[in-house]
Amino acid sequence: MSKQIQDAYIVAATRTPVAKRNGLFKHVRPDDLLAHAIRSVVAQVPAVDPARIGDVIVGCAIPEAEQGMNIARIGVLLAGLPNTVPGYTINRFCSSGLQAVADAAAQISLGLADVMIAAGTESMSVMPQIMGDKVMPNPAIFSDENLGIAYGMGLTAEEVASRWQISRDAQDAFALVSHQKACAAIAAGHFNAETSPYAVCDRLPDLASGQIRERRRVVENDEGARPDISLEKLAKLRPVFRARGSVTAGNASQMSDGAAAVMLVSEKMLREHNLTPLARFAGYAVGGVAPEIMGIGPVAAIPRVLQQTGIRQDDLDWIELNEAFAAQALAVTRDLGLNPDRINPLGGAIALGHPLGATGAIRTATLVHGLQRTGGRYGMVSMCIGTGMGAAGIFERV
Amino acid sequence: MKKLHVRKAAVLGAGVMGAQIAAHLANAGVPVVLFDLAAREGDRNGIVRKALDGLKKLEPAPLSSKDKLKYIDAANYDEHLPLLAECDLVIEAIAERMDWKNDLYAKIAPFLSSTAIVASNTSGLSMNALAQGLPAAVRPRFCGIHFFNPPRYMRLVEIIATEGTDAATLDALETWLTSRLGKGVIRALDTPNFVANRIGVFSILAVMHHTRAFGLGFDVVDALTGPKIGRPKSATYRTADVVGLDTLAHVIRTMRDTLPNDPWHAHFQSPDYLFALIEQGALGQKTRGGIFKKIGKDICVLDPASGDYRPSAGELSAEVAAILKERNLATRFAALRAANDPQAQFLWAIFRDVFHYAAVQLEHIADNARDLDFAMRWGFGWAQGPFETWQAAGWADIAQAIAADIAAGKAMSAKPLPPWALEAGRTGVHAPAGSYSARRNAYAPRSALPVYQRQLFPECVLGEGSATPEQSGETLYQNDGVRLWTLPAVDAGIGIISIKSKMHAIGAEVIEGVRAAVARAEAGLSGLVIWHEAPFAVGANLAQVADVCATGDFAKVDRFVAEFQNATMAIKYAQVPVVAAVQGMGLGGGCEFAMHAARRVLALESYMGLVEAGVGLIPAGGGCKEFALQAAAWAAPTATPNEVLAFIQPTFMNIATAKVSKSAHEAIGYGFARATDTILFNADELLHVAIKEARALADAGYAPQPRARGIPVAGRAGIAALEMTLVNMRDGGFISAYDYRVARAAAVALCGGEIEGGSLVDEAWLLRIEREQFVALLKNPETQARIKHMLDTGKPLRN
Repeated sequence: MSKQIQDAYIVAATRTPVAKRNGLFKHVRPDDLLAHAIRSVVAQVPAVDPARIGDVIVGCAIPEAEQGMNIARIGVLLAGLPNTVPGYTINRFCSSGLQAVADAAAQISLGLADVMIAAGTESMSVMPQIMGDKVMPNPAIFSDENLGIAYGMGLTAEEVASRWQISRDAQDAFALVSHQKACAAIAAGHFNAETSPYAVCDRLPDLASGQIRERRRVVENDEGARPDISLEKLAKLRPVFRARGSVTAGNASQMSDGAAAVMLVSEKMLREHNLTPLARFAGYAVGGVAPEIMGIGPVAAIPRVLQQTGIRQDDLDWIELNEAFAAQALAVTRDLGLNPDRINPLGGAIALGHPLGATGAIRTATLVHGLQRTGGRYGMVSMCIGTGMGAAGIFERV
Repeated sequence: MKKLHVRKAAVLGAGVMGAQIAAHLANAGVPVVLFDLAAREGDRNGIVRKALDGLKKLEPAPLSSKDKLKYIDAANYDEHLPLLAECDLVIEAIAERMDWKNDLYAKIAPFLSSTAIVASNTSGLSMNALAQGLPAAVRPRFCGIHFFNPPRYMRLVEIIATEGTDAATLDALETWLTSRLGKGVIRALDTPNFVANRIGVFSILAVMHHTRAFGLGFDVVDALTGPKIGRPKSATYRTADVVGLDTLAHVIRTMRDTLPNDPWHAHFQSPDYLFALIEQGALGQKTRGGIFKKIGKDICVLDPASGDYRPSAGELSAEVAAILKERNLATRFAALRAANDPQAQFLWAIFRDVFHYAAVQLEHIADNARDLDFAMRWGFGWAQGPFETWQAAGWADIAQAIAADIAAGKAMSAKPLPPWALEAGRTGVHAPAGSYSARRNAYAPRSALPVYQRQLFPECVLGEGSATPEQSGETLYQNDGVRLWTLPAVDAGIGIISIKSKMHAIGAEVIEGVRAAVARAEAGLSGLVIWHEAPFAVGANLAQVADVCATGDFAKVDRFVAEFQNATMAIKYAQVPVVAAVQGMGLGGGCEFAMHAARRVLALESYMGLVEAGVGLIPAGGGCKEFALQAAAWAAPTATPNEVLAFIQPTFMNIATAKVSKSAHEAIGYGFARATDTILFNADELLHVAIKEARALADAGYAPQPRARGIPVAGRAGIAALEMTLVNMRDGGFISAYDYRVARAAAVALCGGEIEGGSLVDEAWLLRIEREQFVALLKNPETQARIKHMLDTGKPLRN
């Protein structure tokens, strides 16, 4: 281990398929999903002795109940890694998975470790409330300047839609395209390289026979994409967050379950084990905005990371811009002048789902494999974050 | 006496009636197997599953709570007939085709339990003919069981014996239907369309006939034949639209086909415009257009002459409007007959012809006049049946007038009235001894079945001469608001508190009366029942609240609320058990009275809610306090603020949105009543059961719980969590800024005030908090405007 600033490389990145909330992974625990992702990513780099893993950082947006107990360490042990491998859980809501990648890269850059795993996991099926099991906000937030903290995410999307004047039609059209791209990508097998299929075994009561019925199936593809969607169907949905609003279940991200893991190594490890990297971690930045317009967060983060890395916006061949809501994705695209043709070529969270804290790691896997497949050089993962933040990370195919 | 136990039932046919009958059985806690044909593809129970899905969406709701659906199993005739072996009651409700029914009977017969009652919900086919389709061994257990749509809400069930039906089986079935399903049962004779539909459809034909004869518009006729004469709001033609014009035409055709010898047979014919509408596909409500049609925002009505629609008006003439205000029926009918106004003539004509028809047909279709009158009350929603109306209007005068009109050729048929109707000295058909039976020329007393002993004040027809509750029992105490009385013949030790105010609103005199009655009961009675006829109570007397408020003396308001709280606390901590017998609306303060009772006996149709938010207030008669107590109890023993809050949350939303239960089961779900309370499907049994429950509690050594102490509350952390929801609702445009303020006051009361979560408080603390919030809201002009608007218009103001 050399204690100097150095580059960190992704040598493996994989994820589970993403299932709809209360869908295929209804009875699957988030720590099991995490263990599967960790186990799979380790298996993809047989040259690295798992005992060399310096730490495992796991992003999770609601780390309580089934996701509590420092789920990172639980995941490490369930994955069968040596008990000498540590793990810790981090939370920055929807960017947690990307934050884990950035933190892991930072440790390698600083020479604190040569091998790191960054991961994310979230089961929105096990959480009775979207914001957590028991939300107990500080009574002080109801002052005017902090009222935005109390806003549900959908209402912040309505705020963005009205302030940036994103029409209902534009949001629905964006949602339709997300589904179309996702369906095409699944049909073409574009997600295969990044996906580690998950074998589900549900144990359900069969009341007629008195027996426990085991239902086994292997989940290979994301569950959320809908080939049967249409503008007419989308137009029929009612706004749910504002009485005369425009944000619907159809033009918002889906609630989902999923996990991903990424292995990062130092240059030294690359050389020692003759590893082939997928990508180099180029940089990462976060920024803050008003909580009531949290969806615009990437506008605060993307210029920073471009400046930090010296990469021009036009150099980005692939942008994974998390579609928390069509309204905010469109507002961010317009404000920054991002090239829509390079955004989410395989669809986004409206079709593919958004398992909060896992999304950053999942889309990192999509990006680095996508760059490999298409030969693009630079790619970015970015998202908005509840309570008003944005995050953006840049990767370079090598 | 043979007792019927229905452990499980089967309903054959998942159509509109079958599915809803299954739902009502499930409401009553009877598991049901609902059968229909096997689907040709996909899920073989697909037809039934679709019907079950439909039950969740239907209005008015056939299910008393959505979770009742799990007690209905879907089945099909191809695979599941062996399930019939477990069913004690099998109700056939398939399409009205004798051949189809016979085929089905042949199919099910081998699978029936040897003791099962088999009944057909046919609305008109011959029961004796249907019986021939069953093996001889089943026939003694076979009868007609004719429900009315919607079966949960329409009280009538006609049961029809065949020649072979066992009498004891019928008695057991009548008992079960009356008490367990809450139905009003009459015995109909096996004639086409039985009783209610025979008279009811004739009445529609008579209205149609005279509408044309007098040249009246359908809208005018609906104004004349609705609530003004004690019939449902949908009156005649809107009812036809709701039922479906095709269905109505079918029923009329059935009458024509099956009653060739009826003297009115020539009138069993749908009018031309009905056929024209049906041909155009305008079948009424289901096709969004029939006799009435909504065009833009206007309700329009068909003009039969032109075939076009015109805006609906339906104005009563001044003369008829004045006549219909007359409460004395004799005067009213005399005035109608004397008036030249076509509307008046029309009304006399439709009554005359229904009286005429009912008198002629009575001996053929029903055992007695009471059964026929109840059939029309319970099956068609008439306030009074034809005979009781006739009797109240003066039997002999009306009979003479009818006879004169028959002679003059004005009546729809020349058939003379039966001799008994014209007998000298006849004053009516209903008397204390019983009601007239034309077929037996005798007076039939009420049924002697023991189940009717449970109805201390059963519904009576006019002329029966039964004592009202107000005239009954011994009064122990009364003031302007309340009467405390006993029924010594039932239980001299149980006092009955009956509220006397209009709609049983709770004002100062009721509050004072309740406290006095409780004190009186503690001094000399074993228990108390709060009972009066529906509604239970519509809430606090708002006019009184507004009056006190208008004085600007808010210390007085505070005292008024404190007195209210003292009354509910007196109910809760009375040294004798207090049982609240709830039916109909139990809103606001009424709901709080019931919540504080030791136990509740609830009619299925109990509509309870803490609706104060509608007038810009929060519950302050202990309603919020009771929910804070419930939440603390449910959260125990790990009562962190978090745990308490979880139970406050749903209640908070119910109070904030003024939610009202649509059944007793929902009232329990919302926490207004308890799972240990008693639910009765027949509201007429409430008083009997409430007295028995009070007696049982007293005999079991009842003592009130000690006053609650050490109650953990959610505190300001809980208020913040609830407020978070409110912020999103307000800024999402779902509630107004003032709604927010009112709801936040409820949050404060439910969470025990702006104190640390998990603090331990007592009941007095919680009562003080809700009282303070209530008085603070009352000081706001927005709340005062809401109260005024409610008093002026009867509707809530959104401000």
